[in-house]
Amino acid sequence: MTAALTPARPRALTFGNVWLSVALLAVMALYPMVFGKTLNFGVSTLIFAGLAMSWNILGGWAGQISLGHAALLGMGAYTMTILATPERVPAFFGGPVAPWWGALIGMGIAALLALVWGGLTFRLRGSYFTLSTIAVALVLRLVAINSDWTGGSEGLFMPELPRFLGFDLFERRTEYWLAFAFVALTLLITHLIRRSRLGYALQAVREDEDGARALGIDPTRMKVIAFVISAALTALGGALYAVYLQAFEPHTLLELPISVQIALMAIIGGRGSIQGPAIGAILLAVFGEVFRNVFANANLLIYGVLILVVTLFAPNGIMGLFRRGGNKLGTAR
Amino acid sequence: MDSAQTTALIQTVAQGLLTGGLYALIGTGLSLIFGVMRVINFAHGDFLAIGMFITLALFRAFDLDPYFSLLVAAPVGFALGFLIQRVVLARLGDRLSEASMLATLGLGLIISNTLLLTFGAQPQNINVAYATQTVQLGGVQLSIPLIVAGLGTLVSIAALNFVLYRTELGRAIRATAQNPLGAELQGVKTAHIQAIVFGMGVAFAAIAGVLLMPLLYAFPTVGENYTTKAFIVTVLGGLGNLPGAVVGGLVLGVIESLGAFYVSNNYRDAYGLVAFLLVLLLRPEGLFGKTVKRV
Repeated sequence: MTAALTPARPRALTFGNVWLSVALLAVMALYPMVFGKTLNFGVSTLIFAGLAMSWNILGGWAGQISLGHAALLGMGAYTMTILATPERVPAFFGGPVAPWWGALIGMGIAALLALVWGGLTFRLRGSYFTLSTIAVALVLRLVAINSDWTGGSEGLFMPELPRFLGFDLFERRTEYWLAFAFVALTLLITHLIRRSRLGYALQAVREDEDGARALGIDPTRMKVIAFVISAALTALGGALYAVYLQAFEPHTLLELPISVQIALMAIIGGRGSIQGPAIGAILLAVFGEVFRNVFANANLLIYGVLILVVTLFAPNGIMGLFRRGGNKLGTAR
Repeated sequence: MDSAQTTALIQTVAQGLLTGGLYALIGTGLSLIFGVMRVINFAHGDFLAIGMFITLALFRAFDLDPYFSLLVAAPVGFALGFLIQRVVLARLGDRLSEASMLATLGLGLIISNTLLLTFGAQPQNINVAYATQTVQLGGVQLSIPLIVAGLGTLVSIAALNFVLYRTELGRAIRATAQNPLGAELQGVKTAHIQAIVFGMGVAFAAIAGVLLMPLLYAFPTVGENYTTKAFIVTVLGGLGNLPGAVVGGLVLGVIESLGAFYVSNNYRDAYGLVAFLLVLLLRPEGLFGKTVKRV
């Protein structure tokens, strides 16, 4: 997110892109007025839309597929909840920490983890990073299941939380607007990255790592930066998700299918595009809701079918289908 | 160390080696596929689950002894793999190495959720008399299904080696692995060979599923865990390195057993993962990458 280094680009194209984000946000802003009774669905969908966009910063822009983002989600949720619970908070803090500060600390820890993890694994090319993400997430899941301070396999309950700017955090409407703000923030950051030096460097690395290196770009450094941003945002989403859930256990937050779900939303929507992941998340949430009645708990079946169809026939996701000729939204692909 | 401790150690290592044999079988299938096609099969554990559920279904329907299910599961696995390579993976063209990850991830979800719809989420097992029986070997107790599984692994891997190094098909497979274009120029139908190899890899996973069934409960997402185990085994041995996969499997089995026995059973799955991460970071070519010949 360094100063925008904007090369000549068709102006209308850039505006069209921003307008799509604005339109998306407008639809989300109208949702509570139209579907006030199904706010639960709205909140979880928005949180996952934000998570998919956070994933996309690493998976789409840097082209590094992570199947361990559940670990980062959990990092935010656990840190925030533990720090807010009087009997769990480390003595060092001298009392419970307000959830927004807890979320910030969680983001910091997730970013630090990504820094070390990415710094170590991005030296390797190919599928090694993906394989490592699965392993790291599974190790952290085992730690969460077996430690006392994480509540073990029973998980954690949300304690009383202080009011946020006068709003009750356990009210769905408040949560909806927080989730909305989360989506808006990830959208904004994605837009900023796209127009920044970092964004162009990331795309260069994704398309041709050796070529990028020849241009003086340090691929490892770029990937690590993308990972750190992605991790911090994912942890923020995790903290928000924890407030929404009010009680969670390792199974609801840390399992491999959660990581896969986040990744698939972004991929189906369109990796490397700006709004694709959000659109993918909304679409899959709606599909999931519809198919839940048909297939009960086998609703991930539709994810499997969709991912296969997308991989075979629309390699750039749903957004890719709308991208024709020069009308490219987001990437140089 | 007194004799009781020694026996406990031998017992632990022996059990680890037998479990490791099964891991070796699963890892060999994955490694074979990677070695020939550079495809990391994210549905590998789900193919194992198919093997388990075929065994379960045949037992429920015809009271068929689980080991006879091999006659069904292995060909079904082969056919399924052959078909998937032909219908899905072959169409990915030059996007194969990256897109195959997503495609197999999708296939895995389809398989596990179809099993969920067909068999329900409840873990199920089959009661055969020998499931809990053990044999005594010099003070060491070993479960019979585990010994059968170990033998099954030996036979399967020996058969694979025979095919790879003693037959015309094996020559074609090795040629395809080394240089697909060159092999094609020599008249090898590489597309066909790749489908056969994917079929063989899937059949290995399905065989492992059958061999595991008397020991474990089957549930639709059981494969997830074994996909990870297969990754660990192949990375330990070096991606695409077949003898490495066998050693990697044995190493994983022993690490898990020793860790579970001497440290804590709660972290049983973590020891392998940590070893996996260490190897990934320190020796990405695998523990035996330089010393062992590749496929």
